[in-house]
Amino acid sequence: MTQDPFVSVRGVSKTYRGERSTVGALRGVSFDIRKGEFVRISGPSGSGKTTLLNLIAGLDGPDQGDIVVAGTNIGRLSMTQASKYRAREVGVIFQSYNLIPQLTALENVLLPMIALGRANSDRARELLDVVGLADRSDHNPSQLSGGEQQRVAVARALANDPALVLADEPTGNLDDQSAESVMVMLTDAVRERGKTLLLVTHERDRVKAIDRSLELRSGVLSSYQIELPQEGVS
Amino acid sequence: MIWVKLTFGGMGRRFVEAIAAIMILAATSATVAASLMVVEGARNALNRAIRQDRPDIIHVKSRFNRALFETPRSGNLPPLTIPVYEPLIDPADLEHAAGNNRVIRRQSLFRNVVSGDSFLNIYVFGIDPDLEREVSSFVLARGRFLRKDDRAVAVLDQASARALGVDIGGAFPIRKADGGDLELTVIGILDKLELRGAPPRSAEAPSLNPEATDVSSGAFVDIQTSEDIFGRPTLTDALVVARSMSAVPSLVAKLQEAFRLEPGVFVTERYSQYERKVRDFVLTLAVFTALSVATVLLAGTFAANLLHDIYVDRRRQYATLMALGCSPAMSIAPAVVFGLVLGAAGSAIGAFVAVLFVPRSFAIPSLMADLGTTQPALDLMVAGSIVAIGIVAVIVGLAPTGLRLLRQALATSLSEGRS
Repeated sequence: MTQDPFVSVRGVSKTYRGERSTVGALRGVSFDIRKGEFVRISGPSGSGKTTLLNLIAGLDGPDQGDIVVAGTNIGRLSMTQASKYRAREVGVIFQSYNLIPQLTALENVLLPMIALGRANSDRARELLDVVGLADRSDHNPSQLSGGEQQRVAVARALANDPALVLADEPTGNLDDQSAESVMVMLTDAVRERGKTLLLVTHERDRVKAIDRSLELRSGVLSSYQIELPQEGVS
Repeated sequence: MIWVKLTFGGMGRRFVEAIAAIMILAATSATVAASLMVVEGARNALNRAIRQDRPDIIHVKSRFNRALFETPRSGNLPPLTIPVYEPLIDPADLEHAAGNNRVIRRQSLFRNVVSGDSFLNIYVFGIDPDLEREVSSFVLARGRFLRKDDRAVAVLDQASARALGVDIGGAFPIRKADGGDLELTVIGILDKLELRGAPPRSAEAPSLNPEATDVSSGAFVDIQTSEDIFGRPTLTDALVVARSMSAVPSLVAKLQEAFRLEPGVFVTERYSQYERKVRDFVLTLAVFTALSVATVLLAGTFAANLLHDIYVDRRRQYATLMALGCSPAMSIAPAVVFGLVLGAAGSAIGAFVAVLFVPRSFAIPSLMADLGTTQPALDLMVAGSIVAIGIVAVIVGLAPTGLRLLRQALATSLSEGRS
């Protein structure tokens, strides 16, 4: 029996028009992701990885094609509907964390819950505990290391218990040690909760337990394959 | 607490700019408030002139002359000559010249009235009760005012009633032109009296206001009764109420033309003076509005620019809120509240400074010669203008950031300013 795709991307194209030039970021990209899958998106810089993630998150709209997540066509949502979609269905982890600097770690985690009108401090503390920052909940982002800030961002992405987690190079700004621990923590936290993970990363070897790997080159999907279990990769 | 932090927290170096914006808005508001308060003061002065001077009323009056008064028969005194208006105005001529404008007829007489063992001077006014009450003020202490069909009855002011020793229901004699006496029954006692276009006070008589230079007392009778006393229908003076302010000049010309051959009749109007006041007001309005507009354009734009810098700095925060699922309105709310608080603080400080330092009375003789000294006033219009300045500065400061957030892709806003 074939499972309905949780994320369906069909013929998506996106072009950025500058004052002097036009850049085709994505060209006719199509693929499906089933619920609970871990999918890695890789490719060289400028291949359209972040653009694809932004389109699925509803942070940008496609020029052509359809993106359907959990039965909702993201490209046809209004701004307000897109906000609701992000609050309910998606947890986004940005490469540059995007934490609000004047809020504490706890308050940053509470933000998505506030967006849905159901702030729960206990749940926010629980999530900070999951990412190993229970004792740093009252610290502002400036008082946390890069790795710790990204852990707060992971906790924030899980705040509303979204079905889909989108991570855009979450370890891109971290040193090797921090990157390793954040990636392990992220994948474990997401896997334990049965979420679907779409992970943009350069680092093929750092990510374990990936179900599918998707590679973009110059905005075109060059490969989309099932990952075989890797021996010896921790 | 989170929303307070989102709205006011994390300002960093922009805190100084926020304080500067408040100060500039305060200075702008103070200047504009002070200017508008002067304009409002001038407007109030103009309105007061319309209300009190009634430039729509034209006074037609006979010359003020010495007239011979005989003493009462029971007295033993020589005749008096006292200046009064002469009855030179033919009511028919006046009505004809006035056309469809309202004419308020008057006969003002002066009589010596026996009171006990002595006699005293009393002003007697023949009026049309209903019309006269539209232009003059009569406040009754007791009894009732005159009616159109009243005959041989009088309403007295308290001073005259006291001097005559009469009260409501009492009567006193008035010598008629034919030599006979007419008994006038008192039906009302006046507490206050303001007679528009009252004749000058030319003789000792009981008065409600001893300091007044115009007559402020007397016995009021209906005009038919005064014609009986006077023995003639000609008027001593009359008020012509123009249908509109703009009709006054032509009406004055018609009245002057009608009484061209009667050198004892004068037509006086306050419209010309009012026009000069209007011109003063327009000049005042123009000068202070120009000052306000220049201040708003220069200082207000500067304040809006400072706000814009603050908003640009926080654009990524607003975009992050939207990316996390907050609605556009919820995401932009901290920006709006921040701006409104800033604007309100600036406006409040400005208004306070203006109220504190604007002089209680203000005059620029070269600009407001006819309008005279005005009292600057803080009213709803001024307060509204000050609030509007704050709001407009916030809107101008926030608009580019807000529009950019709403129009460009959220992904672009999130990537802006990334280090």
